[in-house]
Amino acid sequence: MPAPHDHAKSWLTRIAALPRTGKVRILNVCGGHERTITHSGMRTALPDDIELIPGPGCPVCICPEEDIYDAIQLALNEDVMLVAFGDMLRVPVNVPKREPRSLEQAKAAGAGIQPIATPAAAAAIAREHPDRQVVFFAAGFETTMAPVAAMLAEGVPDNLSVLLSGRLTWPAVAMLLDSGEAAFDALVAPGHVATVMGADEWQFVPQQHGLPCAIAGFTPASLLAAFHSILGQLHRRQPALDNCYPESVTAGGNLLAKSVLARVMGVTDAKWRGIGTIPVSGFALQPAYAAHDARRRFFTKTTAANDPAKEARKRIGEMPPGCDCAAVVLGKISPTQCALYGRACTPRDPVGPCMVSDEGACRIWWVNGMRAAATGRKPDGNAARA
Amino acid sequence: MSHITLAHGNGGRLMRELIDEVFAAPLNNPLLDTGADAVALPLDTANNEIMLTTDGFTVSPLEFPGGDIGSLAVNGTVNDLAVAGATPLYLSLAVIIEEGLALETLRRIVQSIAHAALTTGVQVVCGDTKVVPRGQGSGIYITTTGVGQRPASPARGINNIRDGDTILVSGPVGDHGIAVMLAREQFGLRGDVRSDCRSVVPLAQALLPLPGLRFMRDPTRGGLATVLNEIGLATGFGAVIDESAVPVRESVRSVCEILGYDPLYLACEGQIVAVVAPESATEALRVWRSTDHGHDAAILGRVTSAHRQVIQTTGIGGQRVIEELEDDPLPRIC
Repeated sequence: MPAPHDHAKSWLTRIAALPRTGKVRILNVCGGHERTITHSGMRTALPDDIELIPGPGCPVCICPEEDIYDAIQLALNEDVMLVAFGDMLRVPVNVPKREPRSLEQAKAAGAGIQPIATPAAAAAIAREHPDRQVVFFAAGFETTMAPVAAMLAEGVPDNLSVLLSGRLTWPAVAMLLDSGEAAFDALVAPGHVATVMGADEWQFVPQQHGLPCAIAGFTPASLLAAFHSILGQLHRRQPALDNCYPESVTAGGNLLAKSVLARVMGVTDAKWRGIGTIPVSGFALQPAYAAHDARRRFFTKTTAANDPAKEARKRIGEMPPGCDCAAVVLGKISPTQCALYGRACTPRDPVGPCMVSDEGACRIWWVNGMRAAATGRKPDGNAARA
Repeated sequence: MSHITLAHGNGGRLMRELIDEVFAAPLNNPLLDTGADAVALPLDTANNEIMLTTDGFTVSPLEFPGGDIGSLAVNGTVNDLAVAGATPLYLSLAVIIEEGLALETLRRIVQSIAHAALTTGVQVVCGDTKVVPRGQGSGIYITTTGVGQRPASPARGINNIRDGDTILVSGPVGDHGIAVMLAREQFGLRGDVRSDCRSVVPLAQALLPLPGLRFMRDPTRGGLATVLNEIGLATGFGAVIDESAVPVRESVRSVCEILGYDPLYLACEGQIVAVVAPESATEALRVWRSTDHGHDAAILGRVTSAHRQVIQTTGIGGQRVIEELEDDPLPRIC
């Protein structure tokens, strides 16, 4: 009954046989990639000079604090039923101690909040409750926004509106590379995002920045194939974009999904929590869908968006005090290097969003037993061999 | 009457009829006297220690492929006695029923209790029935207390585990957890996974004669990972296990991959984790594999004093620390 890992093992052998080019830091931008890497103990199986860095691959982690605050206020103050993906519910915002600091706490305080697993569930709930206003707090990357767009394009009941907090992944990588502060030598591009949007979105990495890039799927073998490709590119000094997930990813992506996305949503500059505004990194509803925009429906002069109490709030848009999630998201430090990791911040009692979401690097590391404070590279390896 | 009402718990005629017809008839045995306040248990105290255990059961849905809350309540308690080296003999049965439960459902659950008890050779010798108002219980809660006896035997238990001992599991892990989860139909997933809910008495008794047997436990809530961490906490030893040696059904593995669950943390209701001296490992494996439900028994790894963690060698040859369960992936499955 054991799962076959022969492919992965043969990639490991091929990687070990490659000529070494010195330390290589490879950034991933997908929580699914980080889960596979950590769960399989890949860092301990690879040669020591390969460092795998989790990057901005967690939509919950970078969802603007203001958006979550607005969602909480909406659920608390308006007669609405708010639906959101489960892992949004526990993300804390910065509020005075007496106020609910997460959707979960607002729910406990009596607000109408329901977790859902798919966008289609939001429309279904709205149809089941025609007499209620249902607000879908839709946070996510391209892979989530495509089905949200499809749901809206198919037509939704009038009582459903969307509090949109969608983001594009490539602009965050572009911002990092443009900043000159990028702490990586190569990129593993996200297989699911590339399935929807196309491999070509990632051409800028080798073409404009001269870094190797490979698109990977979600098995250990697929990721190891991508690392092998990257190391080969480095050795040959020929950075390129390699599609190591061809069974799913094409150069142009899913044309139908892209056309529905473009019909329903435009692209705009957008805030990333703890990071700031990243150009052309956010989705916004097209004017034709403005009737389903929760911000237009509820955020009048007197409600949440312009609430004077909100302006008096401390650390608007920031991570909580002491929390290094923003640096973790940008791949600048590893989760174990955050002073709160495993001490003040655990999945049961999270401080920052990276410890909440299944896509968050801190949670992924913690639930997979990575405990030791990182003193340099391969913290999981040190922990495992301690 | 088709459903349980509060009157079924009022101590009157309706309650007596419910107990006699729905409970006492199917559970019938010489010791069960619904008119008595207490029961005298025939036990061989001259040659045995008397063992006692109790467990409460709540599960949603009440019935799932491979079992229901009734079989779970019998086997859960019987299995705790079995892994302690005892022969389970008697059970008490306390039920808290929610007003509105279909009488037909209750009959099926009690039939299932009777069948599970008969299969494993225990007698339900006393019981209690309460009814709570609608909304104050999820259909039915069951508590069973089990009495068994075990001969004065070589010292066994978690504290007898030694450095270098071998860790085995009696069969595939995670069947119960995934079967119950699929039965809830909340993820839009369907599958043919059946719960492994059954008595582990044959598996436990098969190993008992083995001189090298140190310790047995059934990996229920929290699964295999939890038992391994419990061993670590109690003994101060670590463990090394091989991921590719852990038996997991393909159907269970697929569901886990889709939902991001780790089979190591999923509940089993018909398996045993055993720790044996290294020289007894091959024999233990042979013995288990020759029992009815032990064909997929496997050696997982070993106990070590080199570290205090549970470390899994992954399928690709990496290493990963298996920590205690952080938050419940499947609340209230057993």
